[in-house]
Amino acid sequence: MDWNCITTEERLIDFLDGTLAAEEHAAFTSHTAACASCAGMVARVGGLVSKMRQAAPVEEPPHLVSKILAGTRGPRGRERWWIGWAPLIWQPRFAMGLATVAASLAILLHAVGVTPGDLKKIDYRPASLVRAGNRQVHLSYARCVKFVNDLRVVYEIESRIASSPPMGDQTESVPAVQPRPGHESTSPDSNTRDKSQSYPRPSRRGAPQGSELAVLIHASLVNNTPRSLL
Amino acid sequence: MRRHTRRVYNLCYRFTGNAAAAEDLSQDVFLRVYRTLGSYQPQYGAFATWLTSVARNLLVDHYRRTRRDRLTDSIEDAMPQLEEKHSMTRAPDRLAEGAELSAQLQRGLARLSPELREAVILRDLQGLEYNEIRTVLQVPEGTVKSRINRGRIELARILGEMGVRPT
Repeated sequence: MDWNCITTEERLIDFLDGTLAAEEHAAFTSHTAACASCAGMVARVGGLVSKMRQAAPVEEPPHLVSKILAGTRGPRGRERWWIGWAPLIWQPRFAMGLATVAASLAILLHAVGVTPGDLKKIDYRPASLVRAGNRQVHLSYARCVKFVNDLRVVYEIESRIASSPPMGDQTESVPAVQPRPGHESTSPDSNTRDKSQSYPRPSRRGAPQGSELAVLIHASLVNNTPRSLL
Repeated sequence: MRRHTRRVYNLCYRFTGNAAAAEDLSQDVFLRVYRTLGSYQPQYGAFATWLTSVARNLLVDHYRRTRRDRLTDSIEDAMPQLEEKHSMTRAPDRLAEGAELSAQLQRGLARLSPELREAVILRDLQGLEYNEIRTVLQVPEGTVKSRINRGRIELARILGEMGVRPT
């Protein structure tokens, strides 16, 4: 076999892979044994290939994977956000719920007296919102205070009437009750009972009837209820 | 994911010799893969081979794009500076065993022609089979083997000139 330096160079890859036929392998080794230049070349290339295959891979920067994931998954995630919500929103159950909430809001706004058409752009400014909120809080507080004071007046009147003595000295200001025929008042209790019939007490302490309340107020005015209590 | 990232980054780094460019190119590779994932057909080859093909095409584009820069700057002047800067700032492979040989190998690879360089990298540093390299490079297997063989011999000669004796 005619084996020269060029053939050795051309078949070096097969020699290193171990795929040369036995006859070729023999020719290759006999040539390199005789040719110092080819022997050196084979040794250098063989050593280089061995070192390259043993070389550790280069470490990638630690943030590279994160960057790649951000670059690839990022847009898909944002896309999925819309795609993921769309079926939920368009479900009949969700749509009905949304419609109910909208109707409730409309009723609430109507009850409060807010007409969206009347609201101007300036009403949505933070300063305006804070001012309106502040005003609403103060109004609510004033209403509560007034309600409690009214309640105090009612209870004060009621308690005064309940603790007032028998109205023997006030008969001139109270319409006299005509005793019914055949009914004699012989004992002090009967007098008291008559008066109690003339001034009906409230059936319940906290909920006097309309007519009873009028009588109570009248009695309290007669008793000169101090104005400070009002 | 990390395995593929390392594989692509190594290919880009070995081909360009520049860590920053390799990082950018690796991101571009995965972005392109992500966008063209629908066109991947398993019968065309393994996913890793397809990934390598995408990376190789981008590397060729990058090589052509930066050719003018390389022509204006002398490679002999630029490469040691690049390598020195790389070793000072990033030097990810210097921590590994054989870091010195790795750096010298990188300098030698930079002086190879791109055809020989990519063939040697794919075979000896990436460990691809001949048929996989044929798929990636879109050339016959005989050409693949020829390029690898010539690349190895040329690289050994360059390293010999640099005073590196890998044996």
